[in-house]
Amino acid sequence: MLSVRICLSPKYDDKSFIASDRQYEYSQPMGYSAPPGMMQPQQPYMGQIYQPTPAFTPVSPQSMYGSSFEDEPPLLEELGINFDHIWQKTLTVLHPLKAADGSIMNETDLAGPMVFCLAFGATLLLTGKIQFGYVYGISAIGCLGMYCLLNLMSMTGVSFGCVASVLGYCLLPMITLSSFGVLFSLQGMLGMILTATIIGWCSFSASKIFISALAMDGQQLLVAYPCALLYGVFALISVF
Amino acid sequence: MDFQQHGYRATKPRARASPPSGGPLLFDDTSSGPPPMNRGQDPGVGNLFADPMASAAMMYGSSLANQGKDIVNKEINRFMSVNKLKYFFAVDTRYVMKKLLLLMFPYTHQDWEVRYHRDTPLTPRHDVNAPDLYIPTMAFITYILLAGMALGIQKRFSPEVLGLCASTALVWIIIEVLVMLLSLYLLTVHTDLSTFDLVAYSGYKYVGMILTVLCGLLFGSDGYFAALAWSSCALMFFIVRSLKMKILSSFSADSMGVGTSAKPHFRLYITFALAAFQPIIIYWLTAHLVR
Repeated sequence: MLSVRICLSPKYDDKSFIASDRQYEYSQPMGYSAPPGMMQPQQPYMGQIYQPTPAFTPVSPQSMYGSSFEDEPPLLEELGINFDHIWQKTLTVLHPLKAADGSIMNETDLAGPMVFCLAFGATLLLTGKIQFGYVYGISAIGCLGMYCLLNLMSMTGVSFGCVASVLGYCLLPMITLSSFGVLFSLQGMLGMILTATIIGWCSFSASKIFISALAMDGQQLLVAYPCALLYGVFALISVF
Repeated sequence: MDFQQHGYRATKPRARASPPSGGPLLFDDTSSGPPPMNRGQDPGVGNLFADPMASAAMMYGSSLANQGKDIVNKEINRFMSVNKLKYFFAVDTRYVMKKLLLLMFPYTHQDWEVRYHRDTPLTPRHDVNAPDLYIPTMAFITYILLAGMALGIQKRFSPEVLGLCASTALVWIIIEVLVMLLSLYLLTVHTDLSTFDLVAYSGYKYVGMILTVLCGLLFGSDGYFAALAWSSCALMFFIVRSLKMKILSSFSADSMGVGTSAKPHFRLYITFALAAFQPIIIYWLTAHLVR
């Protein structure tokens, strides 16, 4: 994602666009010109991997190696698993009608989505369908497709980790669907209605989070539709 | 808006061993100049791996990954300009609704001209006549999923058949676009139709196909043929009216020459041939789904 923006930045930084016959001027309130934090063009790799900087904070070498027990950060903090954030994101998914906060997607957290995928596969296992491979394959392809689409549709780009994280979190209602499928067959009318509701719920919350994180206006339904297609495939796996 | 500045972009996709803030900077990776916000990544790596070689190897690996990503992006940018492609995805919900209505009922639409703004065409957000690639892409994927579902209902489903369906449809799009490009080139018709425009126009038939398959599944054979007739007529009308502006009124290379009188006929033939091709391909790609 970052390097895509490097490629694009020379074009967007110029005030006069490159003269090609199909250039378009995209007049939006937030323009393309030099999004803050734009990186410089990459320097060639110097081959220096390990090079202590002069800006070394004055910590004795021993404490780097975790010798003093009290100085170590807590394990969860070190692993980057922040339960509070995970809980917040889960709540955002579970309340689809509440407006989402755009900053919750600041950290790309793949721990939660992994757990949800495993839980989904486990509930499918309970109905006798051993389809972990399909679940992972479809989620990989779906994440890739959403990543390409969102990069093309939004003004600012999006990283793959962010897409995977959002889509993984919004898989949570699908787990309730497949756990219902353990109890009774989903192929009747009630099952169809339930499936449709759950698909709508998942895609609505996914699109809500994407819209607020990427500041896309007037495109919520357009983002929700591909999400609905993706979750529809998951539902297809759980129902049939 | 604040989150644009230090939002998700502050995090590269990173390993789960992500750091808290603070901690010593073990080394400086000069290969890819990370933005200052990413500096927080390095100390955590150092804290987790007490062995500097392991952390050095990790930074090396991530710089290799970055290089790989750069190469991929460079190759992609060689073949198609992402900027041009972004034009086709600059859509919003209102445009999509209006366009879908237009595809199904184009008879009352008056003005088919694509509007320009200082020599560049307006984005689809601002002009309902502009072609876009969102609708064809979504329609294509929906068609594939719908084909899978239709086959599943008739107990004829298997993943291979789905792949076969998808690749058949894709190949037909490619053939159609190539034939159009070739004929436009051979007849030296200078239009401003780029390849993406042609892909867009040939992808609009998938909307008709989806409607046809749905009616065929819901209402049986009669519904199928009725929907086929309706969507074919609508699509033919749409294609002829849209491309009439672009092909027939475009400047031909040797309009000064002898063959001036023959040119408009050929261009008319191309447009009508393209229009006539639509019902054939719709029937071909959907008939086996609703039998």
